[in-house]
Amino acid sequence: MSQFLQAAAYGIVQGGVLALVAVGFSLVWGVMNVINLSHGAFAVAGAYLAWQLNLHLGLDPFVAIPIVAVALFGAGYVIQRGVINLVINAPIFLTLLLTFGLGLVILNSLQLVFTADDRTIDTTYASESFAIGTVNIPYGRLAAFVLALVITFALAAVMTRTRLGHAIGATGMDRGAARLMGIRARHIYAVTFGIAAGLAGVAGTMIATVGSFNPTTTPGQLTLDAFVISVLGGLGNMYGALVGGLVLGIAESLGGLLLTGTWVNAIAMAVLIVTLIIRPSGLIGKAQYSGRVEV
Amino acid sequence: MNAEALSAILQGRHRTWSQVAADWARSRTRANSWPALALVALFAAMLGLQQVIEPGTQRLLSAVFMFVALAQAWNIIGGYTGYASFGQVVFFGLGAYTAAVLMNNFHVSFWLALPVAILGGALFACLIGLPLLRLRGHYFAIATLGAAEGVREVINNMTPITGGGLGITIPTFGEDAPTPYFGKPGFYLAFLILAVASVALSATLARSRFGYAMVAVHEDEDAAGAVGINTTVVKVIAFALSAAIVSCAGAFYAFQQIEFYPTDVFDASFTVLMVIMVVIGGSGSVAGPLVGAVGLELLSQFLRINLGAYNQLIFGAIIVVVVVFFPQGVVNFFRDAWRTRRLSVLDNIRRYRL
Amino acid sequence: MIEVRDLTKRFGGLWALRDVSFSVAQGEILGVIGPNGAGKSTLINVMTGYTRPTSGRVAIGGRDVTGLRPWVIAHDRVARTFQIVKPFRGLTVRENVAIGAMHGNERDRSVRDALATADQLLELVGIAEHADAAPSQLSVADARRLELAKALASRPRLLLVDEVMAGLRHQEIEAAVELIHRLRDVGITIVAVEHVMKAIVSISDRVLVLHHGSILAIGTPREVLSDRRVIEAYLGHRYAQRGEA
Repeated sequence: MSQFLQAAAYGIVQGGVLALVAVGFSLVWGVMNVINLSHGAFAVAGAYLAWQLNLHLGLDPFVAIPIVAVALFGAGYVIQRGVINLVINAPIFLTLLLTFGLGLVILNSLQLVFTADDRTIDTTYASESFAIGTVNIPYGRLAAFVLALVITFALAAVMTRTRLGHAIGATGMDRGAARLMGIRARHIYAVTFGIAAGLAGVAGTMIATVGSFNPTTTPGQLTLDAFVISVLGGLGNMYGALVGGLVLGIAESLGGLLLTGTWVNAIAMAVLIVTLIIRPSGLIGKAQYSGRVEV
Repeated sequence: MNAEALSAILQGRHRTWSQVAADWARSRTRANSWPALALVALFAAMLGLQQVIEPGTQRLLSAVFMFVALAQAWNIIGGYTGYASFGQVVFFGLGAYTAAVLMNNFHVSFWLALPVAILGGALFACLIGLPLLRLRGHYFAIATLGAAEGVREVINNMTPITGGGLGITIPTFGEDAPTPYFGKPGFYLAFLILAVASVALSATLARSRFGYAMVAVHEDEDAAGAVGINTTVVKVIAFALSAAIVSCAGAFYAFQQIEFYPTDVFDASFTVLMVIMVVIGGSGSVAGPLVGAVGLELLSQFLRINLGAYNQLIFGAIIVVVVVFFPQGVVNFFRDAWRTRRLSVLDNIRRYRL
Repeated sequence: MIEVRDLTKRFGGLWALRDVSFSVAQGEILGVIGPNGAGKSTLINVMTGYTRPTSGRVAIGGRDVTGLRPWVIAHDRVARTFQIVKPFRGLTVRENVAIGAMHGNERDRSVRDALATADQLLELVGIAEHADAAPSQLSVADARRLELAKALASRPRLLLVDEVMAGLRHQEIEAAVELIHRLRDVGITIVAVEHVMKAIVSISDRVLVLHHGSILAIGTPREVLSDRRVIEAYLGHRYAQRGEA
């Protein structure tokens, strides 16, 4: 039983970080109908930046977060404005390919500079933990989890309460109408992608703090997780991403406990496909952009 | 037009198959037989070429031939029918494992394992195609990607049968070998035949009633249904045809590799390569995937040999450049340029930008 | 030819069709009119398998086709056009029509035959000179003609046309009316949904008026046009009174 509780607790805190990876991915998908296969690459780029800041300047990863977020936002803005916007109206497999190619460029550049070795950001507190009954909770993961919650709610507030959020939402629903209202769609798309990249960078920093990362296997896994979570939670739905992240985190953690080998991954894929077929708007509530089920 | 003529059109033609066949035979002229002749000539030239090149070069070219077949296969479902599958590698892996398991565990001849692998791939395509082909656009792409990842994990965990993550080895030497190893010349021939057959299939499909049905489904499924096209059947058959070719390539690849792991034959980059080759060449045509596969595979072999560490970086950059500057594919780009007598890359960028 | 019984279709709280019953005889032309949102297109969509009815039955040629898939109904030699034209954009005008000729019930057995049929039909509807053009290059009127040729290519015995005259000029409407009469003369039963009142009156044997999903009136054009409720629905209350005075 205590083993079970421990796994559940671990799954919850892990799920928060996964949710943070998925929020931006889901936003980009929902608003511009682009599946960003380079999302994991942005997360890993953020991880490398935080790692470097820690290594050379001794900056704590939580302190480095604003710097990482701003840097990745800028990179994301420029890439969307300069590259992805050029093919935004193309058939879907072109944008899939484009973002795959961008991911290759980013990751192989990183690999050339930093090698393919596993990296982690060393902090004094990441491996420390406190106990509730028989359940141990590491400080680092808990902090990452809380931060993920705060950011998700903050983003949801931005989307529903601010002019920028409304502009993003409106562009996502009907770009033509939004442009007629004077919204600069190119800029809004770039900002959206920038936000997603920034969030990915923050998530990457958290991953680097509580675990390890490398430029070869981490990005693909993160992009795939973001996929599953976005589908579970419903496209462009911030809270959906949070719930999807927690579901995936707990499922993987408990699955690891109950199943041998990597069966849990096979089950995750089966859940993904079944969800797509029977409930394409996500498990909870209604997707904000359900009207975007288009070719 | 008088009433009888109108009535005649609307009655339909009631010709027997033999009349249709006789008509077809009479219609064969030099003008419309040249693609078939060109393909035969190309096949002969490649056979001739084999006699004068090193075994290493034969190995390199057999990879090129394999990708020609894979690109043509993806084009059937992704290009003609318009369902962009991002999990087509699942059939490659299944074909490879079907052949390897049959040969290794049950000592079955490759020549029996091959048709089983092809049929198995096509059947599996029908099975997952029925629910998945109801999804459109991104949803179909993700679902197929998920299917490929999921199947890989299943193979990975069926250790007693597949060897799991430790890989599988096909016995190729001595008494143990169910079929003697082909060697480099043998695989050169095998993949060449596969490539030529897939090009021929694609070209035949393109001019057939089924080919028009696939294009109709691609363009507008509602309108296709209105003229009596069973869109479900067309999509599933296109998916299964594509899967059959990919499974066949997978089986040959498995035998050629002798030893491999789930991560090798379910590698998502195979799917990406199929897609990019079709896109670079031009989707929905016969020449596009052919040109794309040959060009890209030769280029990536060149990069791998000469630029080592930088090859993936450059490969990524090429993808970005091609998607941005030649979104309709180079074959279509130059064909249009020939027709309009102007080469304008700028028009290309204007086409899909925001 | 057609038997429609108590056909009802609800979209959430909206009644697109409500207890609609009527029948059409072999060789008849039935015009369907009604204001925007009256349920005209929904009626065609339900009859051709694009929308499943909430309740009620549709029988065509004595066979119950309720809820069957579009292509199954098409194979019963039922053809339709779409209000928003749906050409296959990547193909030429000729190929667009040929696809209909090679997949219906009375299909041509080879692509060559289908292309020949397409040429004849393009001649019939009057756009033969655009055979090699892309559908996107056609004018509004020609795009509607293409839509009709595609439907005819599957050799229908029942043809449902959805606003095939919308946006046409006076002479173009006359040509379309003449064409529809000729199609009836070779034995095709026709249901024509139209917005253009004048056109419907001149082609129809009987007219069905839909209003808020229900049948307001059905009868000969003369009967329907003198029906007080129809005049009210179409022209408003005051016109109805003036007509009586």
